[in-house]
Amino acid sequence: MISAAQGTGVYVYGVFASGAPAPHGVETVEHDGLVALVRDVPLDEFGEEALPTHLNDREWLERQVRGHEDVLASAAEAATVVPFRFGVICHDRSDVARLLDEHRELLQRDLLRVDGCEELGVKVWYESPQAPASDASDDAPAGGRAYLERRRDSRRRALELAAEREVLVADVHDRLARYSVASVVNRPQPKELSGREEQMLLNAAYLVRRGDETLAQEIASLRAEHAMSGYAFELTGPWPPYNFVGEDA
Amino acid sequence: MSARDLARSGNGGGPAQLADVLERVLDKGIVIAGDIQINLLDIELLTVRLRLLIASADKAREMGIDWWEGDPFLSRRAGGDALEDRLKRLEAAAGLESGERKDES
Repeated sequence: MISAAQGTGVYVYGVFASGAPAPHGVETVEHDGLVALVRDVPLDEFGEEALPTHLNDREWLERQVRGHEDVLASAAEAATVVPFRFGVICHDRSDVARLLDEHRELLQRDLLRVDGCEELGVKVWYESPQAPASDASDDAPAGGRAYLERRRDSRRRALELAAEREVLVADVHDRLARYSVASVVNRPQPKELSGREEQMLLNAAYLVRRGDETLAQEIASLRAEHAMSGYAFELTGPWPPYNFVGEDA
Repeated sequence: MSARDLARSGNGGGPAQLADVLERVLDKGIVIAGDIQINLLDIELLTVRLRLLIASADKAREMGIDWWEGDPFLSRRAGGDALEDRLKRLEAAAGLESGERKDES
């Protein structure tokens, strides 16, 4: 049975169709037309007991998720890849083959769905321009009534601006979605995760034909249209199609 | 400028930002459930647990891996309700609780 502290397990990065070359340093398990990209991992790192500890190790986690992404990105340069989420670990290669067998329908459906495509990430940021004199400034007219009016006006203005931003983001997404095969809008990353002071308004992923540059050109147009307006448009990728595989996709 | 150049320029030509990689590798990608994983857990439950584990550690809190929290307005607009519900369901199934996550009504 499972020995948590000894031996090796088989980490599965993802699946691609047979016939494509595996990236350097990665092995494959082929079963009936599906190929899993795998690597042996020590169970003292990836075993049931060890894994939770390591997941709390920032450096370890970063190394692993970047490694996961690097393997899939390399594989995706040569062939269509269905990326797995971090942490699928099997006992041995025959279990990997069984996994391919059990999930054949889903895997083949996803291979077909993302065939010849790549994922682009788009984020829209907003940095509010310097606020005009605040309602607490010293040289503003004194008096309770004036104070309340300023409060009311500034709140109304803030709501208007928020509504404008919402309309802009919806418009941006509609424009970009037109150039994509499929799209997913994710929750904007909080500042703690993004590491940026600006507010993230849109965090979306678009599935495009490999090498199709029209979406990138649209981003360039958006940047030109909204220059100096406080909005920033970020394009990332190409990524393996993480956002377009799985049961919910 | 080609699409790739433009995309790469988004992060200064360097490696992808960690936040983007974490978001995809830990939260997206195909989820395989089965009884052959070493952890013998539904991998999705593992992922939820993983997030909570990470979120409970001081080091990881510094990294801010808490994207299931956040602004209710934005998360609702981005379709976060479904994710919230799913997360709650999974947490209940896993017998885990997240005391820090805000409820959305």
